[in-house]
Amino acid sequence: MYRYDEFDREFVRQRVAQFRDQVARRLAGELTEDEFKPLRLMNGVYLQLHAYMLRIAVPYGTLNSRQMRKLAHIARTYDRGTGHFTTRQNLQFNWPKLADIPDILGELASVEMHAIQTSGNCIRNVTADHFAGATAEEVADPRPYAEIIRQWSSLHPEFSFLPRKFKVAVTAASRDRAAIRVHDIGLELKRLATGSLGFAVFVGGGQGRTPIIAKCIRDELPEADLLSYLEAVLRIYNLHGRRDNKFKARIKILVHEIGAAAFSAQVEEEWQRIRDSALRLPEHEIGRIRAYFAPPPFEHRPSKASLRPPERNFERWVTRNTHTHKEPGYAIVTISLKPIGGVPGDASAEQMEAIADLAQQYSFDEVRVSHEQNLVLPHVRIEDLRRVHARLQAVGLGEANAGLVTDIIACPGLDYCALANARSIPIAQRISARLAARQDAIGDLKIKISGCINACGHHHVGHIGILGVEKRGEEHYQLLLGGSGAEDAALATIAGPGFGPDGIVDAVAKVVDTYLLLRASANETFLAAYGRLGPAPFKEALYAR
Amino acid sequence: MNKAPTVCVLTANRLRDGTVVFLDFEGAWSETLLEAVAARSPDEVRALRDRGTYDAIRNIVVEPYLIEVHETANGLLPIRYRERVRAAGPSVLDDVPGYSHPDPGATHDAHAKAA
Repeated sequence: MYRYDEFDREFVRQRVAQFRDQVARRLAGELTEDEFKPLRLMNGVYLQLHAYMLRIAVPYGTLNSRQMRKLAHIARTYDRGTGHFTTRQNLQFNWPKLADIPDILGELASVEMHAIQTSGNCIRNVTADHFAGATAEEVADPRPYAEIIRQWSSLHPEFSFLPRKFKVAVTAASRDRAAIRVHDIGLELKRLATGSLGFAVFVGGGQGRTPIIAKCIRDELPEADLLSYLEAVLRIYNLHGRRDNKFKARIKILVHEIGAAAFSAQVEEEWQRIRDSALRLPEHEIGRIRAYFAPPPFEHRPSKASLRPPERNFERWVTRNTHTHKEPGYAIVTISLKPIGGVPGDASAEQMEAIADLAQQYSFDEVRVSHEQNLVLPHVRIEDLRRVHARLQAVGLGEANAGLVTDIIACPGLDYCALANARSIPIAQRISARLAARQDAIGDLKIKISGCINACGHHHVGHIGILGVEKRGEEHYQLLLGGSGAEDAALATIAGPGFGPDGIVDAVAKVVDTYLLLRASANETFLAAYGRLGPAPFKEALYAR
Repeated sequence: MNKAPTVCVLTANRLRDGTVVFLDFEGAWSETLLEAVAARSPDEVRALRDRGTYDAIRNIVVEPYLIEVHETANGLLPIRYRERVRAAGPSVLDDVPGYSHPDPGATHDAHAKAA
């Protein structure tokens, strides 16, 4: 993985020192809250419902064991013993004291981490396929390009005060695990017609109050032109994006209002002007960054290691939580942070330390964070799977539910977030407990829950989406059906009138019951069945008297 | 028909650690709603608002604001659900079948405050 060079180290060290001084001045009364707020946000510090919250960047979701242990240490020392992994592949601490945050940032800097650009109207943490560098489905590891974008976008002077926040996701597989079509820019690394590596560029996707699927504005972009093209896109957005209305300020609104063709034409014009500038990526520079992501020294292992003796829990876990690795004899392991009835995305300090140990011992020191709020050990020998599973079970992380109905995405919701209108976590807990016994029979089904219209829980692209709203001071939940954040990206549609906190759990159960009753076979997934049947039978089940 | 008078309390977050606080009878900032001073007239509401502005300028608290409450036999109850959660702490469930808290040793905030 990428290691800081002297520039990175000094840049982060200086930022910690700056923020330490800013916090001291704030606590001494030398800075007002109005003066301090933009400074804290630039360092990932929010004031949430109950306390300050610190959001830590995990670039393209990649961590090593040292970093994971440091996060555990911070959770135990400065928080309440738990960290929360987010749908942006980041980590949030919900209870840090403002006075402690400079020390926390200093601790993070010691393991090459920071919280810069995890807030504000800038280019946020670049996300990537959490199976990158391990899956046989990709044309190449997308993370070197994500790292190049990270370096280009960090404190970019022209793009530090955009009309609104800006999110970039990268994948290199036709199966989209990075949800690139619901990002401001989504990049698909691919083989171009020339045989060289390059990108398909999707622009103007997003969720929030105006969900839009991104448009592909360039199907073939040579890799050398990556930064010049991104710069052109950002320039056009920065120039024409609305600053008069926060709710219409994202690039998706601009692309939608002027049309993808007109937007693309402006980008092309700007790109031709700057294409051969210093932004052109030299082959040796791509190679230099790529070297940081060189495959680990895989051993030649038998492609079919024995998983005997058979044991039901282990077999279920292997079926659901492991995926094919590009290297024979290895597997990709998804560590579910969704224990039945648990808090989606939460991990205790002890669990983080156990995962760090497993990564070090069994996965070439690598852990990934997925946007589905799980963790991944990307490179595990098949013959070690039983030992890994046993250790995960011992710390409460052995649930065999990756991609199942209990593998629920939920934003922090009203339990933590100052913007939320309704709780997400307890709804997720209750749905999980309600459907757990039948989850294997139900099969692949993604439930995504947001506690407000900002859609951090990705409800617009849930197979079943839930949106919490406030109605006359009380919680109320809309039910949405038929969305997808994958390569078949689609926006879910509202099923009908909403439900109260109890009713929404029953409503989800009714939708699931209807699916089980009407599916053509056990192999027809919920999404396929919904596509075939349409919303009518589900609405009938939900609303018929 | 006379509308019941609005009753308000003043809340904010403490600057140093972000803890949710309520202005109490003695003019101090308390961590519990039970001790909050209630304003029942426009003049009392104005006085609370002024006090919030003053303590924000003095860097004791941040983002002070008034919340509407019902007066019940058990004390003050925020009208908005949001404010009830904010006053009580996270409502994360620990009685769901099969649920085990990620950190069994941790004292949950909601329970700590309720105790």
